[in-house]
Order: sequence, then structure tokens, then C-alpha cells
Amino acid sequence: MSLTPYDWNQSIQTRMEYIEERLRDGSPVVGISIPEGVLLVTIRRAQRKIYEIYDRLVFGGIGNQSDIETMRNAAIDFAHQEGFQRSPDDVTAHRLIGSVLSPALKRAFGDPFTAPLVFRGIFAEVADRQEQDLFYALGFDGEFRSEGRYSVVAGSFEAENRMIDLLHGAGERASDRDSALRLALEAWATGRLHSRRAAPTISKHDEDEEVDTRTVDQVLREEIAEGTLEVGLLDRGTPRESKFRLLRPDELQSIMAEYR
Amino acid sequence: MPRPGDFRELVGGFPGESGRVVDAPVSRHDASPELDTHGTTVIAVKYRDGVLNVGDRRATANMAVMFDRAEKVLPLDDYTLIAISGSFARALEIVRYLKHSFKYYARRELQEMSLDGKVSEVSRAIAGNLPMALQGIGAFIPIVSAYDPRTNEGRIFFYDGMGARFETSEFGAAGSGSERIRGAFDYIIRTHKPFREMSLPEALRECLILLDIAADLDAATGGFAKVLPVAKGVNREGIFEVSAEEMRAIVAEVPPREDFGMAFPAL
Repeated sequence: MSLTPYDWNQSIQTRMEYIEERLRDGSPVVGISIPEGVLLVTIRRAQRKIYEIYDRLVFGGIGNQSDIETMRNAAIDFAHQEGFQRSPDDVTAHRLIGSVLSPALKRAFGDPFTAPLVFRGIFAEVADRQEQDLFYALGFDGEFRSEGRYSVVAGSFEAENRMIDLLHGAGERASDRDSALRLALEAWATGRLHSRRAAPTISKHDEDEEVDTRTVDQVLREEIAEGTLEVGLLDRGTPRESKFRLLRPDELQSIMAEYR
Repeated sequence: MPRPGDFRELVGGFPGESGRVVDAPVSRHDASPELDTHGTTVIAVKYRDGVLNVGDRRATANMAVMFDRAEKVLPLDDYTLIAISGSFARALEIVRYLKHSFKYYARRELQEMSLDGKVSEVSRAIAGNLPMALQGIGAFIPIVSAYDPRTNEGRIFFYDGMGARFETSEFGAAGSGSERIRGAFDYIIRTHKPFREMSLPEALRECLILLDIAADLDAATGGFAKVLPVAKGVNREGIFEVSAEEMRAIVAEVPPREDFGMAFPAL
């Protein structure tokens, strides 16, 4: 069988639509840098979504669960191999994304004979100083962007843009853990609201399309009641061997109480 | 069938395995003692709240002191300590291997490796190092100390050169100076009290005296006269290190050795 450029274009288009449609309902993940370290925040239904990759690397993603696992495992394999054979200092988000994950995603996406990965994820790296914290948002086609103070992944680009706008306008609001959590949750709910509104064919007047008209506050109340607030912290200053931990329920109690 | 979370599979062998062994057949007697940095005394005792490890800082190669600030008590993870003796180069490499192996398993499998799994991994790493050890270089023998959350107590494991693992109820010691002081542990337990009933400062004081005796009797062991030893412990809260000030305060308490003079046989 031979492929013409048209077939390739067509296949890319079909794949893109297929993946984006499947990602649309994904629960957003918000990454935020604070003096204490780096936070990844989401509200999940069933599966855990935030994972430790290496000493200074954490990951949160949306998409097909087995594709998220594939990416998580590839990242962990590379990080540990490299960290052992070279040094933990040589395991950086930049190398992990740029040399390993992004090319692999691109290959899978562009090859019409393999299944593309339904995946979008954030990788965050904690540094010794807050200004040097780094976030990478990585897409299913291998495209990535790096950001300094915060990053997001959500079900659609429209949703991501709204979240970024909100975080960008928040200035110095994320000065401690609790204010950062509040901001992250607000961004999360904004992303949740706009994921469905994103498709260009959907207009607010179209009666057939479901348009989420809830407010950010309503969304958070409902989702926190039904789901689980999951927060991963890479602790900048801990003397412990592992910097990563998921915040315990008692540490999230006061934040969750605000949305009851 | 691949074993999920197995770090050895990921990197293709333990340190010392996989053809990285020196090619030329070197018999035990030919191996140059200058090549390999050796000699130490490391001690592990169970005290009231967990396990305390104390190690001297001297690293020697043959008659030379290579380094007098070597760290021989190292954390493998937040609840496991390893005290190393024997070849410093192999030991550090294997410690790096083990740290990565535990972390890799925990991160891949989303659960901690069991304590039994960890101490077995140490056994396998020692056995994997055997080809080098048999050529006369690179042998290393560790003591592993851990806090067992299931039984709420400290545990100490020691090993032989082939990787056999033994669990000890009170204390463990390894290194060239350890044989010289082995009986002294029993003497303390029988005449004073078991280590497990001692507070941290009490246990530390006994360990420092033991280390001082080992330094007197073994040239490859540095005591505490020049460079402070390193003391780390593990208890319910995890690993801690005894600070230099605390150590100095206890060293000051240790009674100085009286010089009783030397009795020469009358000619």
C-alpha cells in the first residue's frame, strides 16, 4: 500500500480530532510555583493523576489512562537510568522532554500505522531557588512549551488559555501554600468550565449543545464534593531523601471547608 | 517475562556485573593493595527508639590515608541506612545502585519496596560484586539498619562477602577494626546494660568509646581525636544525623585514656 501526501494529511487530521475529542473531558491539572516548592493540583474522580518522576520532577496528565502510564513509565525509566549512570543533577525536565518524550510522542502521532497517544501532561521541576522552577506542558503531538511560574493542561486549548489568563492576572497571589491552592482551584474550575465550550462549532445560542453555565464557585463546590482534591508537592527545602509527597487530607481540610 | 520496577533489568546488571570486570586474571595475591581503598570501622546498635550508626571517617589504600573525611554511613531512603566497609569505590557505586533501585521500584510501582525486598536486594548486589571480589579487589561488606513500621522497632542486618544476610538483635560492626572490638559489645551488654535500653546520648557515648578502642588497635580506623566520626540514626520519624555540637559534647564526656606507663621486661 502506498500513501499519498493527501492520505497523510487526512490521517493527521482524523487523529487530531479523535484525540482532542477524547481529551476534552479530562480534569485539568494546574502547576504553580511557591516559595515552599512546586505544587500540582487537580480534582480527580477515580485514578490518581499526580506522580513523582524523579528527585526534582513531578508529573500530572490527562488522557487515556494507559497512555498516561506509558508516558509516566518512559519518564521514570529515563530519569533513573540517567540519574544512576550520570548524576541526579543531569536529570532535568528540559532533557527529559526535549530528548526523550517529545520525539517519541511526535513519532507515534505522525505514524499512521501506530496508535497515537491520547495524552497531555505537565512536568514540573523544583530548583533551589524559586525563580528557577520550571514547568513543561507537553502535548500528544510532541509540541511543548516551558513556563516559569505556573502551567496548566486541560481538555482544550481554549480552556488552557483561560486558565493561563487567570493565573497571569493573579500576580503575586500565590505567596503561600493556601493562597496558591485557592488560585489553582479557581484556575482548575475555569478550565473545567471552558473545556466543553471550546469547539468552534459550539455557540452559546445553540440549544442542542450542552453549555456549562455554572459559576467557578458552583463548579468547585460540586466537584470537590463528588471527587477528590489531589495535591502533589515537591518540597524545596526538605532534608528528606524524597522531596515529593501528596498532601494529606488533614492538610487540605481548611481549603476544602471553604467550598462546602 | 520482565519484572516491573526492577532496576537491575533497566541498567543491565549490578555494578561489577556485565563484563565490566577487569579482564586480566588477577589472583588474590597479585592485586595491588594501592588500587583499592579499604579499612574502617562502622558500628550499628539498637537504642531505645531505633538504630544508631557510627562510623569513622578514614579511608586508606595500603599504608596511605587517602581521605580523612569519608562518609561511610549513608541513607538508602528515608527509613534505611547503610554503613559500608571494604572497597570504598565499589561500596559507593553499589550504594548509588541501591538508592536508585529502591526509588525506581517505589516510583514505578507506586508502593514502597518491602523491608525484606530491600535487604534481599542488598544481598543480590553483594553477590553480583563477587566476580570482582574473587579477583582480590572490590570486596565490600555493609550493615543495613532500618526502622520497621510494621513491628515498630529498629532492625539491623549484616552480610558476609557472598551476600548471606543475617539479622542481629543488638548490634553489628563491620570493617578492619570491627573484629578487634567485637567482644567489647558483649562486655557492655553483660556488665552495663543492653543497648536497646539506652537513650541516644548513652548509646552514642558507648559507640564512640568502642570506635576509639578500634582506632587504637587498627591503623586503618580513624577515631575521633582528629576528625569527628559521623553518627546517623533511624527512628519512627525517619533518618536523623547527630550534629557536630552534640557529638563534641559527648566526645568531651568520654574519659581520656590514662597513660599507665609501659612495663618493660627487666633485662
